[in-house]
Amino acid sequence: MGKYILKRVGYMVLTMFIIATATFFLMKLMPGSPYANQAKMTTEQINIMNHQYGLDKPAYQQYWIYLVGLLHGDFGTSFQFNNQPVSYLIASRIGPSMQIGVQAIILGTLLGILLGAIAAIRKNTWVDTVATFFAIIGRSIPNFVFAVLLQFFLAFKLRIFPIALWEGFSSSILPTIALAMAPLATTARFMRTEMVDVLNSDYIELARAKGNTPWQTVAKHALRNSLIPVVTIIGPMAVDLMVGSMVVENIFSIPGIGDQFVKSITTNDYPTIMGLTLLYSFMLVVVILIVDILYGLIDPRIRLSGSEGSN
Amino acid sequence: MAEQTNQIKLNKNSFNKVGANDVDEQEKISAPSLTFLQDAIRRLKKNKAAIISLWLLVIIIMISIISIWWTPSDPNAQHVAYANLPPKIANGIPGFTGKASVGGEIVDKYAQANVPKGTYYVLGTDYLGRDLFSRLMKGVALSLLIGMLATLFDLVIGIPYGIISGWKGGRTDTIMQRIIEIISSIPNLVVVILMLLLFTPGLGSIVVAMGITGWITMARLVRAETLTLKSQEYVLAARTLGESSFKIAIKHLIPNLSSTIIIQTMFSIPTAIFFEAFLSFIGIGIPAPNASLGTLLSDGQKTFRFLPYQMWYPAAAISIIMIAFNLLADGLRDAFDPKASE
Amino acid sequence: MKFSSFGKAGLVSLASLFFLAGCRGDQSTTNSSKDQVLTRMEGDVIGSMDSATVTDAISGQALVDTMDGLYRYNGSELQPAIATKIANPSNGGKIYTYTLRKNAKWSNGDDVTAKDFVFAWQRAVDPATKSQYAYLFAGIKNATAIMNGKMKPTKLAVKAINAHTLQVELDHAIPYFATMLTNPVFFPQNEKIVKKYGSEYGTTAKKLVYNGPFKLTDWTGTNNSWTEVKNKFYWNNQEVRLNKIKVQVIKEPSTALNLFESNGLDDAVLSGEAARQMKNDPSFTPRPQSSVFYLELNEKKIPAFKNKNIRLALSKAINRKEYVEQVLGNSSIPARNVTPENLAKMPDDTDFSEAAAKDTKYATNFSKKEAKQLWQQGLKEVGISNLNVEFMTDDSENAKKSAEYFQSQLESILPGLKIKITSLPFKTRLTRSQAGDFDLVMSAWGADFPDPITYLDLFTSNNSQNNGGWSNTKYDQLIQASKTTHATNPQARFNDLLQAQEILTDDQGVIPIYQRAEAHLINAKVKGLAYSPSNQYNFVHTYIAK
Repeated sequence: MGKYILKRVGYMVLTMFIIATATFFLMKLMPGSPYANQAKMTTEQINIMNHQYGLDKPAYQQYWIYLVGLLHGDFGTSFQFNNQPVSYLIASRIGPSMQIGVQAIILGTLLGILLGAIAAIRKNTWVDTVATFFAIIGRSIPNFVFAVLLQFFLAFKLRIFPIALWEGFSSSILPTIALAMAPLATTARFMRTEMVDVLNSDYIELARAKGNTPWQTVAKHALRNSLIPVVTIIGPMAVDLMVGSMVVENIFSIPGIGDQFVKSITTNDYPTIMGLTLLYSFMLVVVILIVDILYGLIDPRIRLSGSEGSN
Repeated sequence: MAEQTNQIKLNKNSFNKVGANDVDEQEKISAPSLTFLQDAIRRLKKNKAAIISLWLLVIIIMISIISIWWTPSDPNAQHVAYANLPPKIANGIPGFTGKASVGGEIVDKYAQANVPKGTYYVLGTDYLGRDLFSRLMKGVALSLLIGMLATLFDLVIGIPYGIISGWKGGRTDTIMQRIIEIISSIPNLVVVILMLLLFTPGLGSIVVAMGITGWITMARLVRAETLTLKSQEYVLAARTLGESSFKIAIKHLIPNLSSTIIIQTMFSIPTAIFFEAFLSFIGIGIPAPNASLGTLLSDGQKTFRFLPYQMWYPAAAISIIMIAFNLLADGLRDAFDPKASE
Repeated sequence: MKFSSFGKAGLVSLASLFFLAGCRGDQSTTNSSKDQVLTRMEGDVIGSMDSATVTDAISGQALVDTMDGLYRYNGSELQPAIATKIANPSNGGKIYTYTLRKNAKWSNGDDVTAKDFVFAWQRAVDPATKSQYAYLFAGIKNATAIMNGKMKPTKLAVKAINAHTLQVELDHAIPYFATMLTNPVFFPQNEKIVKKYGSEYGTTAKKLVYNGPFKLTDWTGTNNSWTEVKNKFYWNNQEVRLNKIKVQVIKEPSTALNLFESNGLDDAVLSGEAARQMKNDPSFTPRPQSSVFYLELNEKKIPAFKNKNIRLALSKAINRKEYVEQVLGNSSIPARNVTPENLAKMPDDTDFSEAAAKDTKYATNFSKKEAKQLWQQGLKEVGISNLNVEFMTDDSENAKKSAEYFQSQLESILPGLKIKITSLPFKTRLTRSQAGDFDLVMSAWGADFPDPITYLDLFTSNNSQNNGGWSNTKYDQLIQASKTTHATNPQARFNDLLQAQEILTDDQGVIPIYQRAEAHLINAKVKGLAYSPSNQYNFVHTYIAK
């Protein structure tokens, strides 16, 4: 196990290095300058600025400087925020994104498991149909539409929740719900399929034969075994959340990194784009690793062999 | 658990002789012999939701194809004076009366804008007075096209990649898997956004940008399947007989991979449609003046408070398409995967 | 794990959501007049509070609220601030001497002195500071050489004669120098504090000192909300009536509207459809900006654009009134000139833009018939029968809408014209504009200081911002004369500018489209809001009525 994790971490470092390199050179290809006042500055003024920021150096030198900086934990300085280190920028804005992300994953998976399990137990009844329908709706409507509807009806009309802004826990509820729809749907769907499989298996038959009530069977045996595969999809769902949060943060005016990412892109804030891309990738890689390890821990049948861990 | 002792009384009459008298009858196969595909179709047919979805999609695709040549009116023609008219049809059933409430009062918008009698916009008009029904038709068509092109990209890269990786095995496989791992370590949207900044915005670049990451899932599934198929007897036999790898791939692997591929395709089309909607929201979707479901939705969402119909109809359209694709995909998976069938 | 525990967890989490939601207080943050709290919004975050490096209007507003320069705009009136009066130049308009008020203080108790100005200005022109607005200093003696790294910043011709007297020497007379001083880049800086924080100066609310009406708080440097509280060290603090200004970043117009209507905002900025829909609301207040949108025609790439009739035809085929009302719908103003209205006044107190439009209305009047005639005549002169052009524009909501509208309008009125729209991210669009890689582009220019020259300078033959390459010798001469021989003679200078503007409009060297207005919804209780020609609020006299 230790050796396996070590090896995986090694690959992670390599992956991050390649991503850093790729994004760096991609940035070099981007048109436009990172200066907010580009419209009014003359070419000479832009050249002077480029010199000051070291952007007139050959690309390989800039790359080297960037890499050395990375090794020291220095992601460079933002262009949009004057003299603000990218690491500080990210650190100060990651909280809200993490909060709604984690809340959405918890809410989404819990409700999804519930919905999926109910649908599987009451398979081919109206309960199943309704549950499945809800699950599919969650996957079928873009979350910016959800966000707008939630904001309008629950916040503006009924005044149950705050309309927007970031002022305490209550502000995080609507964004959480809007974000949770996708993981909810995915989990429910996955859970239903797995549960149906499990309920058809021999050991469940056995448990039933032993005289357990259906609910006991589900609680004792089916649920646990159906949950194992559900764990594996948390990784991809986390990615979906990052994707979704850009839009939801925008609508609810949440000071998070998703909104920042979109902004950095429109302002050509290269260091911030690179920093956030690295951060997103790092989170993804770590989530996948954790899921793989968890998977091994939950399901003893799966051995973590060195070479094929991620498949 | 409480022990229960159920007394069952058995006697001679409880048993019946199984009809072993007729040898011929024993040899008879009760069900007609079915190929795998026939069997799958039979199973699919039993799934009502999937069949309804299939027909819905067929209709939607037909309408989309028609929209290439014909729409009720030119989807890009503007009548600025007729901007933001609510839906109206000839007999004015509720919801389609052409009236809207402005500051609490019900106003006939068509009369206000001096729209001549006999001119109706079934789904209303947008901010430039363009017919939303025509735009929706075109939008659905464009979104489906994006979905299909993106999926084609998946197939063209994903299948050969997966087969080669699984078939060759060893070092080639390891290297190819590492590449996949690296690409999939950057969130899709990030890759797509970065790519779209490099290319000029448009249909082509959106499809290519989505294609860059989209094929990964397909490649993974195909590889896993190939690994299993590789050790099957008929493949081993073909190999022993000296069949070339390429021929084996075409003759044996692809037909056996088809169910996996079809199911994955059904999932990746709606994913691409969804993705385009996201891109439109951030402002890097299909460029003006063309409509896609994404641009219609993101325009509609901005005016939802005042002109809700501008969001509801595209939202309904995208939901129906997504639901249909998902149900059909589910149905196909059940049909192709005997494990899931009862 | 058991099913029941899962079910409970789900229910509990749901229930707690609603419970907690119920706990929150009333939505409204309406202020009774006692509180004197104003809640407003911005479309984006503060980029920097270092007045030397600030580039965006949002940071600019925050600096105007919290700092005081030599002068301050109250509405369109330029008032002395740290300076005791509006100074008149001597030595042919080249030397300005300012007497500073003695009671001006920084929020740490230090006096605001002439040295603070000298320090700030020297710092701004120093290339190492990386100020993107340093070019505004260009007219001050030695500034250009310093910016190009050829001279030391200390050589800048600005000196503190004593603690309360500041003297500036210019290369040549700059008639609008006084108005430039309201730009934050000319604000003073406390040397002690700047040196103390180094590169971190102005990166959070705590890492700078204030000499203006308010102090910034709750600003971490990157967050989406901040508060400005009354500054008791401000020299004029008895005039300040607001205790607090709360600012929120809101990016979606519909969110802004929802907040305004539930009393979460006193001043909301709308755009797109939200603005158009609220146009008849009593709280709707359009704020015209010193920012004009115009079409640049690339004469170097499309030879047909060299033809005056073709340019005129394009201009006259655009129904600016319908466009502004129906497409933009935010109360923007149809533009007759590239110089916006209410920017500058002629010496006889008439509006410059209006005066220039008086005799040039033909060039921008919408007429299908005339446009078509001019178009056909133009095509004949050039010897072509049709024209395919790419229309490049930004990818914002308004820009896209506008492009769709122009495409449809122009194509339907001008036979043989085919337009292809390319909408690009702002920065990409700029880069292509500046490289001359376009046929037709929608550009915008915002004034750095309220004088027509900021616009008219752009279209002189050798100006690097003249992307279309329109050129007119008479025009160049007039602009040159306004800067040199007539620089100290307002009457002659404005006549030059007026003539130049008329030439540009008559010839449609660029096609003016509209002057942007920002659509605000303002709570009727907010009184005394003054809005300056540089598009900033002055909150010194603002208060909330009962």
